[in-house]
Amino acid sequence: MLDFTILTENWDMYAEGFKVTLLCSLLALIGSFLLGTILAVFRIAPIKPLNWIGTIYVEFFRNIPLLIIAFTIFVGLPTLGISFDGFQAGTIALIIYTSAFIAEAIRAGILAVHKGQTEAARSSGLTYIETMRYVILPQAIKIVIPPLGNQFINLVKNSSILSVIAAGELMYQADLISLRTYVVFDVYIIVALLYLVITLPLSYGVNYLEKRLAKSN
Amino acid sequence: MIYLITIVLNGGNSFKKANIEGFWGFGGNQMIEFKNANKYYGDFHVLKDINLTINKGEVVVIIGPSGSGKSTLLRCINRLETISEGSLTVNGIEVNDKKTDINKLRREIGMVFQHFYLYPHKTVLDNITLAPIKALGQSKEEAKKTAHAYLKKVGIPDKADSFPSQLSGGQQQRVAIARGLAMHPEIMLFDEPTSALDPEMIGEVLDVMKSLAKEGMTMVVVTHEMGFAKEVADRIIFIDKGQILEDADPTEFYVEPKEERAKAFLSRILNH
Ligand SMILES: Nc1ncnc2c1ncn2[C@@H]1O[C@H](COP(=O)(O)OP(=O)(O)OP(=O)(O)O)[C@@H](O)[C@H]1O
Ligand SMILES: [Mg+2]
Repeated sequence: MLDFTILTENWDMYAEGFKVTLLCSLLALIGSFLLGTILAVFRIAPIKPLNWIGTIYVEFFRNIPLLIIAFTIFVGLPTLGISFDGFQAGTIALIIYTSAFIAEAIRAGILAVHKGQTEAARSSGLTYIETMRYVILPQAIKIVIPPLGNQFINLVKNSSILSVIAAGELMYQADLISLRTYVVFDVYIIVALLYLVITLPLSYGVNYLEKRLAKSN
Repeated sequence: MIYLITIVLNGGNSFKKANIEGFWGFGGNQMIEFKNANKYYGDFHVLKDINLTINKGEVVVIIGPSGSGKSTLLRCINRLETISEGSLTVNGIEVNDKKTDINKLRREIGMVFQHFYLYPHKTVLDNITLAPIKALGQSKEEAKKTAHAYLKKVGIPDKADSFPSQLSGGQQQRVAIARGLAMHPEIMLFDEPTSALDPEMIGEVLDVMKSLAKEGMTMVVVTHEMGFAKEVADRIIFIDKGQILEDADPTEFYVEPKEERAKAFLSRILNH
């Protein structure tokens, strides 16, 4: 049976880790959603240089390991005189990395809206921005919510990698507890359960939203 | 002299009432004018040396085989497509000029599509009021009033709060027409507006279009509906492989097309 005294005896560290993971995920979620939306619009806007920037960004960052981005920010940037603590570096790395995936999800959603919708809106005299805002994005969001939910869940789980740059989140705390107590299995099972406390509600929230939006049509 | 030049510039478009009016009216009568317009998709020459003048209040029907360039021609008028060479003016404004405010020009040109393209997430009323509110800056009340008036005009006053998915094809297309009219455009473009409809719904849409034509709306209509063309069209344009082959009076055209290809085409659409 799982030894829950590990949890109670190391409560402070678990709680700290949980708090940091939650905060880091939340910040990265907001940041990567905003950056991802901008990048998605860059990729489809009728302006070539923006397309290039968007494409280069997405193809570069989603195809390299998150760990390397985190290391670069944590270890590399200080050599240029810009330094972050583990938490800051980790959150920025998560935003940079996840926004590439989110951009792709949003772009796919926008492209999935029939081009006749754009033509109808534009031919009535609406601008590109108005068309996006009132016609395309409201339809795209319904398509985008499930993949977006997946990206957010991945984001929470990926934050565990940041333990290697001492971000102070759950996984980092678990490593410390394990070193201190010489217990391995139980320590990490408890961590897994704590991740579920974050990801399961997220998952259910996404399902709920998806159903509600489907009904509203 | 100037008049002769006008005729020559119009590609020898013969001695037409339209040209004389256009000239004597100092061009004020010409709503749409293609001059030596060409369009390419890569190497593919989709519109070939188009010369076409459409006057205010005229109803022009465009017919031709599939892939002949009818939609492309129509879509150039509101710059959903751009011509590659030559000139195209709407109401005297060069459509492809960089200085042209295309959004402003498009407010003057309503467009109705084969597949309606109503906004599925908006009610019928919101479909109609979106552009008047956002592009014309009308107040919500004003836009709603106009929308209700046009819904009545197209015969579905009770559908304002429905969503497009709750309407039949014919009703959806009439909403699309009302949506176009709510901008009070100078021109209405129709691209095969009845081709996606079940036969029993074609009549209700054509009736709306006919009444519009009789009220003096300038209309360019891609359609194979001969009844519509005969009843309200001023001219028939027959286009094949990107070329205008005939620009004729509808009754004459259907009885006796001059071009071989038009004859062949007509016998095909009339024999099924
Ligand atoms: N974006 C595009 N790129 C390349 N070719 C195109 C494009 N759009 C249309 N075409 C080609 O241009 C030609 C004319 O197309 P268009 O849609 O204007 O024909 P149409 O007369 O409207 O035909 P239909 O009766 O089938 O609607 C066709 O051969 C079509 O394949
Ligand atoms: Mg067509």
